[in-house]
Amino acid sequence: MRSKGKIFSSLAILALAALPALADGVVGAAAPAFTLKGLDGKNHSLADYKGKVVVLEWINPNCPVSNRHAREKTMTELVKQHGEVVWLGINSTSPSSGDFMKPAEHLAYNQKYGITYPVLYDESGQVGHAYGARTTPHMFIVAPDGKLAYNGAIDDDPPGRKAMNARLNYVGRGLDAEKGGKSPDPASTKPYGCSVKYQ
Amino acid sequence: MTVPKTVLAALLPALFLIVPSPARGAAGEWSTNPQSRVRLISPWQVAPRNGELILGLHFLLSPGWHVYWKNSGDAGFPPAATFQPAEILGTPEILWPTPRRFQLPGDLVAFGYENEVVYPVRAEIKPGAALPVPAQTSGETSDAEAPPADVLHITADLDYLVCQVDCVPFRYTLTLDQPLGDAPEGDPATAPLVQTWVDRLPRIAREIPGVRTGAVLDASRQGGPDLEIRVLGVQAQAGRTDLFLEPHETFDAGRPRMRAVADGLVFHVPVRAREAGKPLPAKTSIAWTISNLKAKDGKPFDLEARREVPVWTQGGAAPDPMREPAAGGAADRFPRRLLQAFLGGALMNLAPTVLALLVAAVFSLRLPGTGPRGLRENAAAAVTGVVGGCWAIAGLALLGRRAGLAADWPSLLQEPAVGALLAIAAALLALNLWGLLEFPLPSAGAARAGTGRHLLAGLATVPLALAWPVPLLQEPIGFAFARGPAAACAVFAMVGFGLALPYLLLTLAPGVARRLPVPGAWLPRLREGLGFLAGGGTLWLLYALSRRVSPEGLAWIELALLGMSLLAWLRSREGARPAARFVFVLGLAACAAGALWLADRNRLAPRPATVQQPMTSNTIQGG
Repeated sequence: MRSKGKIFSSLAILALAALPALADGVVGAAAPAFTLKGLDGKNHSLADYKGKVVVLEWINPNCPVSNRHAREKTMTELVKQHGEVVWLGINSTSPSSGDFMKPAEHLAYNQKYGITYPVLYDESGQVGHAYGARTTPHMFIVAPDGKLAYNGAIDDDPPGRKAMNARLNYVGRGLDAEKGGKSPDPASTKPYGCSVKYQ
Repeated sequence: MTVPKTVLAALLPALFLIVPSPARGAAGEWSTNPQSRVRLISPWQVAPRNGELILGLHFLLSPGWHVYWKNSGDAGFPPAATFQPAEILGTPEILWPTPRRFQLPGDLVAFGYENEVVYPVRAEIKPGAALPVPAQTSGETSDAEAPPADVLHITADLDYLVCQVDCVPFRYTLTLDQPLGDAPEGDPATAPLVQTWVDRLPRIAREIPGVRTGAVLDASRQGGPDLEIRVLGVQAQAGRTDLFLEPHETFDAGRPRMRAVADGLVFHVPVRAREAGKPLPAKTSIAWTISNLKAKDGKPFDLEARREVPVWTQGGAAPDPMREPAAGGAADRFPRRLLQAFLGGALMNLAPTVLALLVAAVFSLRLPGTGPRGLRENAAAAVTGVVGGCWAIAGLALLGRRAGLAADWPSLLQEPAVGALLAIAAALLALNLWGLLEFPLPSAGAARAGTGRHLLAGLATVPLALAWPVPLLQEPIGFAFARGPAAACAVFAMVGFGLALPYLLLTLAPGVARRLPVPGAWLPRLREGLGFLAGGGTLWLLYALSRRVSPEGLAWIELALLGMSLLAWLRSREGARPAARFVFVLGLAACAAGALWLADRNRLAPRPATVQQPMTSNTIQGG
């Protein structure tokens, strides 16, 4: 599994290298292309979802903030509400980090918290760096035209003090806007959470 | 019944030996986890019943772990707390000591604190808030002699994230039972601790004499936008000076680069607009903190500044970031500041004591035998007095700032002795208007008889007016001191002309002067009536003073004012001998001096310079 991961990481690097230099995570710029292997064993390329709204969630089950949102079903409820969007989790944790979770454990974690969307491994951190992902969770919305439409936090409540229905969920609001043919507002916020455990 | 302060002060140490309660007084109980400990503390064993109340969120962190500054950096989030009872404390504000930078894997950075930090928390016990009824201590402490110190039960619902490389969030409800009393007492353990961290709050750049800072965002550069921040009048501390930016809604900031220039430091920060293709604003609000600077005298300090920073998109050389502390457009703002100064000065005429003096003085301009020309000369003398008084105040303030005193006028008004001085001045005016106290005025130097009196009346207007700070004046005065003596001279002259507006009209408009009635028997009646206006102003100033001195102290000050009135009345009686009059004047001066001494002695908040005591707002410049 590990060697396959490295292969796909290499593929991702090649895919990125083939693209012109892009500003990392700038809203309105083309979303960096990638091909990463998912826990489902399939390769997932952003290009596969052209014409659809894609949500990218940087995830780390060993980060308490990411884990809180799993327990509170912040993401999975949004996935249910917005069946029209493609939701991808990306784990950029380095295998050298204590937070690294083996695929089998990650699958069990996903099952425990009802995470049914694909989770992709970005062990080299190349995709994370290309997007400027800094925290777990760190959220991006890619519009159907392939441009980044949102970059930032999942909501306005970093410590999770408010009731769920009292939080301003930026991604939910952005997806509603996309559904109505509008751009997310705000289009960028400051993400919060644990740092992405890059190499 | 209120226990006299001396008795209370004597009883307090004994009380705290008798009633050792871990969550009572100066420190709450620790909430502990493997990564950190946190508690709510206060610098007070007994805090004042109203006014500012400083608390502290005290963290002790395990080695390698950190908590966050208001901008957490690339990851994390700052602590957040909700304090109760909100109906008494309002919404307390967490203040942020200068942080340090933490390097994280993946070239990420975080800003925060390791080992130990106290976040000072600024609360204010609202005037008139329903304070708790006097607390009865538990059975084991049923000391019948215990002072009736009320206890305010304070809770803080705290959320924070503590990180090493990994992070752990925690949520606690911290508690503190804070005794309140008329005789505030600092805590010898926690007061220095809180003061240490208050001292680590960055100082506001505009309040640091000889230091200037400004910025410009050059968005026209090929390599991407560059934020240039200059700070002049400082030196760096080798390897320690660092720049921290507060979060910005439009831009992300990269790692700053610093270089030394002739008179200071220049930072260049690569920034990037978060949204492509979005038009950039012409200017944007940016806030920064710079740590570990050295002043010219070698003293270390941190500074913080917030400026409207121009965004340069036109190519060519970007404007000088130091053009104006408010960054950009200084030249065209100067006339506006002068206009604000003039209007602010004119508004001060509506303050009760100023109005009383003004009306009395204006109707006294046209003394019998004074023609229109003489009237205009008298009015011009008053204008000269007012403007001269304003320049004198500006000169004193500039000298004070040069000597390192950063206190502004609103802060000075918080000083009990200054408040008492203004109340005394208002009371003296009332006594004068009631005819009980004539001020002997010199005539030397006056162009004609009586002109000197009007000059001094103009001069006296200025301190009376300063007791009533007009918000409109804050901006031009801040601008004036930031720009230097010439700007201060111009701005304060405009304040003076605004304050002397009625006299100016009389000087410049002969028609108005001609309509002024000739003083007659009605003038003393008018002055007596105006005396009540000045008396009302005195009462208001005493009310303002009641928040800064203890009730006993205020009672003594009022007694001193009553004594002044009595002595003035005795002096004004028909047939009083010159020697007796002199004694009465001496007594009056003694009463005034006593009132000042009582105000200082009975102050609720300790002196700002006292490090070992709880601090006042004068020492808290950050946030």
